[in-house]
Amino acid sequence: MFKRFAAPLLGAAVIAASLATAAVAQDKPTMGVVVKIGGIPWFNAMEVGIKEQGDAMGMDAFMVGPTSADPALQVRAIEDLIAKGVDVIGVVPNDANAIEPVLEKARAAGIKVVTHESPAQKNVDWNFEMASSKGFGEAHAKMLAEAMGGKGSYAVYVGSLTVPLHNEWADYAIAYLKDNYPDMKLIGDRYGVAESVDDSRKTALDLIAANPDLTGFLAFGSQGPIGIGRALEETRKVGEIAVYGPFSPGQGRQLVKEGAISGGFMWNPMEAGRVFVRVGDMLVKGEAITDGTTIEGLGEVHPDGTNIIVDALIPINKDTVDGLADLGL
Amino acid sequence: MIEAYRRMRDLVGAEVLGLLAFLVIVVIAFSLATPRFLTGENFGSIAFQLPELGLLTLAMLVPILSGGLNLAITYTANFCGLTLAWILQVHGGVDAGFGAFLLGCAAALAVGATAGLIMGLVIAYVGAHPILVSLAMMIFIRGLGEFLTRGGDISGFPDFIRPIGHGSVLGFPIPLLIFLVAAAIWYIMLQRTRHGFSTYMLGSNLEATRYSGIPTRRTITLIYTLSGLMCAVAGIVMVARFNSVRVGHGDAYLLITVLACFLGGVDPFGGFGRVLPVAIALLILQVLSSGLNLIGANQHLSTAVWGLFLIAVMVIRFGWQRLALRR
Repeated sequence: MFKRFAAPLLGAAVIAASLATAAVAQDKPTMGVVVKIGGIPWFNAMEVGIKEQGDAMGMDAFMVGPTSADPALQVRAIEDLIAKGVDVIGVVPNDANAIEPVLEKARAAGIKVVTHESPAQKNVDWNFEMASSKGFGEAHAKMLAEAMGGKGSYAVYVGSLTVPLHNEWADYAIAYLKDNYPDMKLIGDRYGVAESVDDSRKTALDLIAANPDLTGFLAFGSQGPIGIGRALEETRKVGEIAVYGPFSPGQGRQLVKEGAISGGFMWNPMEAGRVFVRVGDMLVKGEAITDGTTIEGLGEVHPDGTNIIVDALIPINKDTVDGLADLGL
Repeated sequence: MIEAYRRMRDLVGAEVLGLLAFLVIVVIAFSLATPRFLTGENFGSIAFQLPELGLLTLAMLVPILSGGLNLAITYTANFCGLTLAWILQVHGGVDAGFGAFLLGCAAALAVGATAGLIMGLVIAYVGAHPILVSLAMMIFIRGLGEFLTRGGDISGFPDFIRPIGHGSVLGFPIPLLIFLVAAAIWYIMLQRTRHGFSTYMLGSNLEATRYSGIPTRRTITLIYTLSGLMCAVAGIVMVARFNSVRVGHGDAYLLITVLACFLGGVDPFGGFGRVLPVAIALLILQVLSSGLNLIGANQHLSTAVWGLFLIAVMVIRFGWQRLALRR
């Protein structure tokens, strides 16, 4: 009786065991990077970067992508990495505070910690950013001002009024335009619609109808430029109104080629993955990062506390969009 | 040998033995796959990860036993956590005293119990289906939490609450101890009290229970109130573990708690199921998840393995029942 019950269970366990790959070689340094969520293009690209650079540097580097963007799952993944005994843990946090206690535990266990996109992170060795809020906001503002010839009205979108990063970008962009291009006029305050294509499109249609002198849009939020681009096609304003903002190259490829989206900037998640491994490698080897140290992918860095912030922006435009889209971004 | 097996089976039940056997097989499989599995660090990691899910599963268990479901558990837990966080914030955030913490815990428990009470009253007196009522409650609590926090998180708590989530006593993680105490209370409540007996009866046959003179409405109300109370305990542990609260924390746990209940042999239609097998099922899920992480498997694969595991258990159980009938 008992044996009959155990036999099929044994079968199930064999399946589980066969899924198990060979034991990890312990002689080379290991690094696990926990990202916000697995299986989306952005982090798939990051995984490629992590794997490639790990192979190149002789480091066993891998990515852990939770099944949903839940901080609780990140905490669990980090606990498991501590148990696994990796040398370096990398994190792109969903919630900087939620992972703070578990990172403390990791560091107490002698594990080095690197984060990305989390400038206020505690309990890290290094946090690196591939774009500063100021640099990112101003880069877009500068492009917009050039396209508009320094005059006319423009409107600003953010993903939502409660997304801190988008609003910071908008703050810097608006301040820059105010200081350098006094003839440019901001319409309204800012519109929190750029996380929805449809809302962005509708708002753009309303704004175009109400403001004949509107010649530019800044949209911080991945769906904003797409929605505005579609509105321009509908109202046959392509070429008359400039649209700048970060968006997914794969999604906006057609609109960029038609000129409905003028362009934008992003940073390269694949490069971010490589930088994770490079910084991790430096930590393992005990190499110090000081003012003026050069790190491939970041350039010459000027650390501020534990933060390494550079502007490694890559433009998205007619020429680059195909290449970026082919990376699956 | 067979005699010893019989005695064990009579003592803890065949269900528990089967699950334990599976646990042993999984542990052996993983220890063959990676030398890192049978280490103190890994068991520590498992012991720290189990409790928050475990407490939520206990909160889910009692409604399921009564033939219902409580879909609001994770959001109730977070809302209770938010209550605690808010009271700590009002009393100085990082500098809040121990009194403020006790007050916050009391308030969190009260909020959890109230949320459960409201659900229980609606289910018992309006007669709406528990899935609908708890779904409505889940949406309400989530929306209210998002409105009050504007979707953000509350963080910055005094240092003394951290051990509740990350500390150990005599080598036992404190969250695990909390879970064990909660599970023991649940065990006693279900096996030794009149309310526990009524819960099982309710799950088996509501009408027959009512005709036998058991106050079914009061029992249902109490069931959901207790479930809400257990959510509050989970919420407090999660505050200490994550050092921050947001309505969305742990929303991936909801269906896993249902999974753990079914794995532990709880009848989906209510009436049958015990605490101990559910606790072992939780342990198996955690061992599978940690083990797969340890060998570096894709996280999505571990979800697939859980699903496969559930299907396998159902098939085995079905076969087993057929076998038992044929004898």
